[in-house]
Amino acid sequence: MPTDSLVKPAPPKTHSSPARKGWRRVGSRLSLPFLMGGGGVLIVGYLSIIVLLPIAALISHGLSISVATHGSGWAFWHWHVSFGFKTFWSAVTAVGSRNSIWLSLWLSFGVAAINAVMGVAIAWVLVRDRFFGRGFIDSVIDLPFALPTIVAGVVLLAIYGPNSPIHVDLFETWMGLMLALLFVTLPFSVRAVQPVLASLDLESEAAARTLGAGGARIFFSVVMPSLWPSVLSGFGLAFARAVGEFGSISLIAGGIGRTTTASYYIYNLTAGFLWVDAAAVSTALLVISLVVLVTTNVVSRRYQSRLL
Amino acid sequence: MTNTSKWTLRVVVMSYLGVLIGLPVTFLVVKAFGHGFGAFWSEVTQRDALDALKLSLEVAAIAVPVNALVGVGAALLIARHDFVGKRVLDTVFDVPIAISPIIIGIALVLAYSRIGWFGAPLARWGINVLFTPLGIVLATMSVSLPYVLRSILPVLLEVGDDQEQAARTLGAGRFRIFFQVTLPSIRWAVLYGVTLTIARTLGEFGAVLVVSGNITGVTQTLPIYIFDSWDQRFDVLGSYSGALVLALISIGVLGILAALKRREKKLLVDFA
Amino acid sequence: MSISLSHLTKHYAKTHAVQDVSAEIKHGSLTAVLGPSGSGKSTLLKLISGLEKPDEGTVTIDGEDMTHVDPRHRDIGFCFQHYAPFRHMNVAKNVAFGLKVRKRPKKEIDARVSELLALVKLEGKAKSFPAQLSGGERQRMALARALAIEPRVLLLDEPFGALDAVVRAELRHWLKELHGQLHVTTVLVTHDQQEAMEVADQLIVMRAGRVVQSGNPLALYESPATDFVHEFLGPSTIFEGEVTRPHDLELVSVHQGQVKGRITSIVSLGFEAQVTVELSDGTSTWVQLSRNELSAMGLRVALLVGVRRREDIDA
Repeated sequence: MPTDSLVKPAPPKTHSSPARKGWRRVGSRLSLPFLMGGGGVLIVGYLSIIVLLPIAALISHGLSISVATHGSGWAFWHWHVSFGFKTFWSAVTAVGSRNSIWLSLWLSFGVAAINAVMGVAIAWVLVRDRFFGRGFIDSVIDLPFALPTIVAGVVLLAIYGPNSPIHVDLFETWMGLMLALLFVTLPFSVRAVQPVLASLDLESEAAARTLGAGGARIFFSVVMPSLWPSVLSGFGLAFARAVGEFGSISLIAGGIGRTTTASYYIYNLTAGFLWVDAAAVSTALLVISLVVLVTTNVVSRRYQSRLL
Repeated sequence: MTNTSKWTLRVVVMSYLGVLIGLPVTFLVVKAFGHGFGAFWSEVTQRDALDALKLSLEVAAIAVPVNALVGVGAALLIARHDFVGKRVLDTVFDVPIAISPIIIGIALVLAYSRIGWFGAPLARWGINVLFTPLGIVLATMSVSLPYVLRSILPVLLEVGDDQEQAARTLGAGRFRIFFQVTLPSIRWAVLYGVTLTIARTLGEFGAVLVVSGNITGVTQTLPIYIFDSWDQRFDVLGSYSGALVLALISIGVLGILAALKRREKKLLVDFA
Repeated sequence: MSISLSHLTKHYAKTHAVQDVSAEIKHGSLTAVLGPSGSGKSTLLKLISGLEKPDEGTVTIDGEDMTHVDPRHRDIGFCFQHYAPFRHMNVAKNVAFGLKVRKRPKKEIDARVSELLALVKLEGKAKSFPAQLSGGERQRMALARALAIEPRVLLLDEPFGALDAVVRAELRHWLKELHGQLHVTTVLVTHDQQEAMEVADQLIVMRAGRVVQSGNPLALYESPATDFVHEFLGPSTIFEGEVTRPHDLELVSVHQGQVKGRITSIVSLGFEAQVTVELSDGTSTWVQLSRNELSAMGLRVALLVGVRRREDIDA
């Protein structure tokens, strides 16, 4: 699960020592700089088919980019590229679209914030506390991650839906959506913080204690400052996940306007075969997720660089 | 920490997990068996459910090995070689996690269906992506792409290339090095990643829903069958029963993951 | 402020970390707790600080029973082995931490911090973060942070353990000077006998959780209570079945010594030389000589020599 997710360890430099003749020599001269090995080409081809080309197609449809050639041949000076920004804008600012994006944004923000707090609390209990069944709780944290999202939706409806055995009916309410999003984003928030908390230097806390600090002060002025970067990346991941989440809320949302999130709205557009509108709203949503992920990433990295 | 604050924290955490995870999962079991085991069994063995399960397994049988191979290959490439665009390659693997499955589904349609970029040439060759099992396979491959790579890469970087270099000085060729030195050191990580990939492929819903068109018996995977039972056919028990089957698979997956983690502490998925 | 430890015992799981330790630490002294790793010396320090609670026994500081007092109320300064800097605070904020906890006025804090930074020679580094300091600087910052609260007792856990040899020697010297200026009762834990001998005016030697011997360093060196203390406090060798200091032995011509032997190796370490001799009874011993003695006697490997104790001359 995510560690300090947005910060990846720098891969160790590979040595290109003057080795035996044979594959290594070929490898170091050719495949290293330009990824020319057969395996590399296959991988790039595969990624293009299942990720890159589709995303490019999505954005190009979303922004109504069209490329026409005039004259003959494929040379780029014959290309005529046109943007259909108007189509994009009207699709994104349609009432249904605006409402659903707004609903997704504030729900995701709230969910990421709540789970940031609960993530720290849960990680604390898992790392610092000792009690019977801790290992079990630790595995349960991964359940929302291992559970298919549609199952998560059914599971939540089983107790918080119509005919709720405990008489809490959250069907077609924003609280139901929030519950579903809290459920699916929980592992991201916990696992972002947990390894960092486990690796903290206990001596700093002991030092603060000998200097007279009490529990609350130690937590807020010694522990939390070291956790902020990971809490922030957990927040970013949870937010991005919540904005895009569909399966777990598809049932509890019920399909009425009040509880139509952005992803649900996009799905509705596809069900009506309005692919271009769907692509436009998708592009907007992509940009929002990207901005949030990059921002949390940059802030968390900048903060962390000072500590190391 | 004082005893009071310790217990307060425990109670808060346990209540949160109870409300969010414990109670719902318990009641799923209660509801699925609400009409007895017989009713549950006849629900999960009815034709549509079995067809859906079969399709889910077939899709997994294609997507999992492909993504495992790609994941191992890319991890080796990233961890052991320097090349232009390495960071880009690393980032591309995270795209499917960062964006909505619904959006992935739409992207695939806009690239490969009749209305998409490559729709016309593909149709000429008789390849159709929208509303076909092929589309489901593509969508599943896309969403389950990163897990093997993200499981192996940290381990591969941690282990370093000392052993591989040693093997090389001893005269081993690249295949011997891979199978006798590299693979043994990452085997648990591979297994971990493959387990996650299986879980993800069996459970994928959003992306598959967009490309599949939800044709019973043809393009209905188990998650879509569960959705359909609830949303379209009002067969609540069928929905609970199917969900329980998938939930049990997930719990099995969790067990495997926990066992693997006990074997090797460093196992994790490093999401970007 | 004197410290009195009485019958302290601490168990971890199944090991006895500290067992029935009693000791008196005089006001204003600089005491070194010396022992090999696993001897319980760090645990003893934690017991004094209150970071660990003893299973049995009492800790009294200045006549006040502190056994059940939380470390935050003990007024002790504790320097951790790895300095435990607050990484997100700059040097000045690190040093000010204890004073802020005590809600001192800002002016007083600022004045005290600059005074302390001058004391530990970190004036120019007030705004630096711990990550930007060298090991020695971090150590001095940790010391200033501990001293800021005007502790009754200063506790140092392996204070020079993580530093390289040159910085280590410098800091040792400096610490001794600082102690001379401040006269705060100081206890330091170390596994390095040379460090302990050089810095401390009192030694407590520990082994396997128990105090083996304590007292003045020179007295311990001269008259160790056990073979362990003897071997631990300085170079030692076995001669005529007894543990002895190699510089208490001398080499003489083969006719003069009662014990005869053949030189098997000579290691020159600048001023000092270590000569290993295989004795006629089959055992082996080594003798510490000065460079001058070595060259005056014209010693070389395979030479037959006599070995005797230096005090034999007086006798």
